[in-house]
Amino acid sequence: MELVDSYLKAVKRYLPRRQRNDIIAELSEDLRSQLEARQRELGRPLTEDEQMAIFKRQGDPMAVALRYRQHGRSLTVGWELIGPELFPAYLLLLSFNLMITAAVVLIFQLLAHTPVSAQPFFVPLLAQVICVTLVFILLNSLKGVFRRKFSDNWMWPPADLAHLGGWIRGVRTVCPLVDGYPVLSQPGSGVGGSRLEVQPGLAQILPSHPVAHAGRRESAGRECGAPGLEMAVADGPLWGRWCRRFRDVVLPRVNGFLRWGLFGPWLWIP
Amino acid sequence: MIVAVLAQLRDEQYGYTLRKALADDGLAIDEGTLYPLLRRLETQGLLVSQWREEDKRNKRFYRLSPDGELILKQLLEEWESINQSLGRILQEA
Repeated sequence: MELVDSYLKAVKRYLPRRQRNDIIAELSEDLRSQLEARQRELGRPLTEDEQMAIFKRQGDPMAVALRYRQHGRSLTVGWELIGPELFPAYLLLLSFNLMITAAVVLIFQLLAHTPVSAQPFFVPLLAQVICVTLVFILLNSLKGVFRRKFSDNWMWPPADLAHLGGWIRGVRTVCPLVDGYPVLSQPGSGVGGSRLEVQPGLAQILPSHPVAHAGRRESAGRECGAPGLEMAVADGPLWGRWCRRFRDVVLPRVNGFLRWGLFGPWLWIP
Repeated sequence: MIVAVLAQLRDEQYGYTLRKALADDGLAIDEGTLYPLLRRLETQGLLVSQWREEDKRNKRFYRLSPDGELILKQLLEEWESINQSLGRILQEA
């Protein structure tokens, strides 16, 4: 998968479902035109860093996607209160909760052999709306703490590992041990030069493993290297990454699995 | 900005060339602003668009609709009158 596809895929995730493919087609056209124009300027294929510079100017995938969201009139107040980043998650969680609540109330009514009426639904549903909304308003007011910068974290599957094809496969959710995040790429490298960004928590575990331990060195973040794999400890918070799809990546040389859990991927070395 | 986009789209263009043309005339609009804007103008019926293949790639070409032409004319007149008023105010000052 090309870097540009990886980027577009990350944007796509946040786009309104109805317009998704259309917007991506257009954005893809524009980005490819930009890449080609730059390539013509330089007279050679672009390096990964040069491509990244173009994506960076374009903006973080989430921010780019959010510009396409048109404010639904009835939801404008919620949108302002909860903030555009959290709003899709808010709607998802709220509709899920409302469905569950309605189902529970209905079951109770059926079990109690009372005639089904609308009135008992009212209070629980209203309570759900209020609670979920309050939680999200709180989260929104705290988000400054987790402010996202432009990051490379949208690269998934990682450029370096993408060509392994068969090694990368979708797998169901697993419980996270550590909240790390996925493999990033290094220009021109194969698996041998892959970088695995992990959270500090994971790094504490890794050095105890003989393979991962080999060649560890200090740098921006802590890095652990192995013949087949280099690992860098990322210090960013997990904000915004939780909604990624659940996936597994097999890291062949380390013979381990990078798993995508609820709160991020984690590495499992047998 | 809207006036500039509408005026530029009197001739059919696709997003990238439109952006280039605007930038060449001194009005650089980044793609993150332009495409959503084009979409909104299309929803409002001021633009019409069409997907067509060119240079082996699918591109979305935009053009001013009859409604768009009408609105552009009105906007330009309004722009003209604001400009004149401003000119007078500045001269008085």
